[in-house]
Amino acid sequence: MPLRLIKTRELLVFLSPLLVFVAVIYYGVGWNFWLSLTSYSIYRPVLEFVGLNTYAQLFSDPDFVNALVRTLAWALLLVLGGNVLGLVIASSIFQLRSSKLRSVLTSYFIYPMAVPLVASGVIWRWLFDSVKGFNAVLAPLGFPRVEWLSGNNAFWSLVLVSLWVYSGFVALMYLAAFYNVPASAIEAALVDGADMLTVMVKIVIPASKLGLILGVVFSTLFALQMFDLPYSVLYINPFTSTLVMYLYNKFAYMVFNLSAAACIFLIALSASIAIPYSTYGLRKWILGVVR
Amino acid sequence: MKAEYAAAVLLLLLGALWAIPLYALVAGSLKNLADAMGTPVLQPPSQPDFGNVVAALEKFSSTIALTGLIVLPAAFAATLLGSLSAFAIRLYGGKVADWLPVVIALTTYIPYQAIIVPLVSVIRQVEVATGIPLYDTSQGLFLVLLVYYTPMATLLMFIFSNAMPREPIEASLVDGAGLPTIYWRVALPLLGPGFVSTLIFLLINMWNNLFIPLSMTRGYEKFVTLKIFSYVGQAGTIYNEMFAAALIGSLPPLVVFLFMSKYFIRGMLTLTGRSA
Repeated sequence: MPLRLIKTRELLVFLSPLLVFVAVIYYGVGWNFWLSLTSYSIYRPVLEFVGLNTYAQLFSDPDFVNALVRTLAWALLLVLGGNVLGLVIASSIFQLRSSKLRSVLTSYFIYPMAVPLVASGVIWRWLFDSVKGFNAVLAPLGFPRVEWLSGNNAFWSLVLVSLWVYSGFVALMYLAAFYNVPASAIEAALVDGADMLTVMVKIVIPASKLGLILGVVFSTLFALQMFDLPYSVLYINPFTSTLVMYLYNKFAYMVFNLSAAACIFLIALSASIAIPYSTYGLRKWILGVVR
Repeated sequence: MKAEYAAAVLLLLLGALWAIPLYALVAGSLKNLADAMGTPVLQPPSQPDFGNVVAALEKFSSTIALTGLIVLPAAFAATLLGSLSAFAIRLYGGKVADWLPVVIALTTYIPYQAIIVPLVSVIRQVEVATGIPLYDTSQGLFLVLLVYYTPMATLLMFIFSNAMPREPIEASLVDGAGLPTIYWRVALPLLGPGFVSTLIFLLINMWNNLFIPLSMTRGYEKFVTLKIFSYVGQAGTIYNEMFAAALIGSLPPLVVFLFMSKYFIRGMLTLTGRSA
């Protein structure tokens, strides 16, 4: 237990703006929960307590159920695809001798996260255009024409785009873990005559569980927040609607109680990942260092 | 040696895939009307025509200025508040340093979009109470960005401050220096790289945000991402204008990323709880 270097009163002065903001956010969560138990909307602008009725309404809304299933599927696909791609990118970068080249390439694969998603949406929308997009290049080469954005294909196409956006981030998680593997273990195996692939599969990757945990946790959180991409590629489209799009539409049409209930549901989903991660993971990795 | 060769081939292939959207963006922006009407997206322009980019720049200049005037001070204020808070938590230590970062981390990891309904109504109430117009104004956007991003900045700065030695701070306390002096003279120089990382990370994230301006303003003129989005409704056969708009709107964060990618990436790693 280290010495307290400042008084409680001083601490509160320093923290006051932050505490107000954090309180506003938690207040918002509570407010949502309360609103989701009422019938408040543009159609019934009175705060009447209806218990879980709004949630029953939410789950009987096929739009919500579809958005929920799609969001969960998206999370699963992003976790699987992002980790496979991220692992391939990270393992490849890890082989390079020049540290300058390694850092340049790491940045390069992350650049999609520095571009506004709405701008990426504009670009991909045209790349998927059935006449002027990829088809114009692939069809002359003998590939079948793919209607990238029609019907359910749109969902798969957008999953591909999200892999382009987030795989670099997952690769970064793995790379950070790889660099923590003791060089001596790798050297020793190489001296013993193991080839690099064996060393990666037997030594480096098994020692990088943290990369996997972070890749899974953050891919899921990114997928749960999916909004800009589907909204800017296809605007309002039944095949690409996500949870955030659903709650935004309900908010825009002033069906506040349903929007709030969807918010609570989304918060619960995220919290089921974020709470164990924040309490267990962060404690283990950073708070352990503090004391 | 063989492994490095194989890795290089893989990276070239994947790197080429990653470059497609960027190439399409630049090539599409430089096409004239006839090219955009008649040629596929991936075909290079017959001759580079900067007309669209110049036109987009003119259309965007006021929105870019407006966005910069919101985002720069908001990112700076959030980083400053975050570093002050992290500094205080670090000095106080004990149980507070144990659980407060976790409480803050949760607000960062939970989808911020999920509290938009109460937030907009809180903003409306504050508006009525103070008489300061907030909904659909720059100061309102600034305030909402500050509320959302200060906890994230605090989390980042707290993790960065773990690497900060306590001895110089203890020594200056013994010397009788005041807290503001210690923060300014002792802590901030030690936290410099972390401060820059947090600032860059917030800047790019704030600039690229669509959901907050979408929910907080009317029309498409007050924020760059909204302005890019306004082109989405105009589906037609002409993509060069859309691409030029996307290019102009993406250039500021891309340029910052190009020169400061080390800091941005360090911020990203730190967000996950790793001290880079």
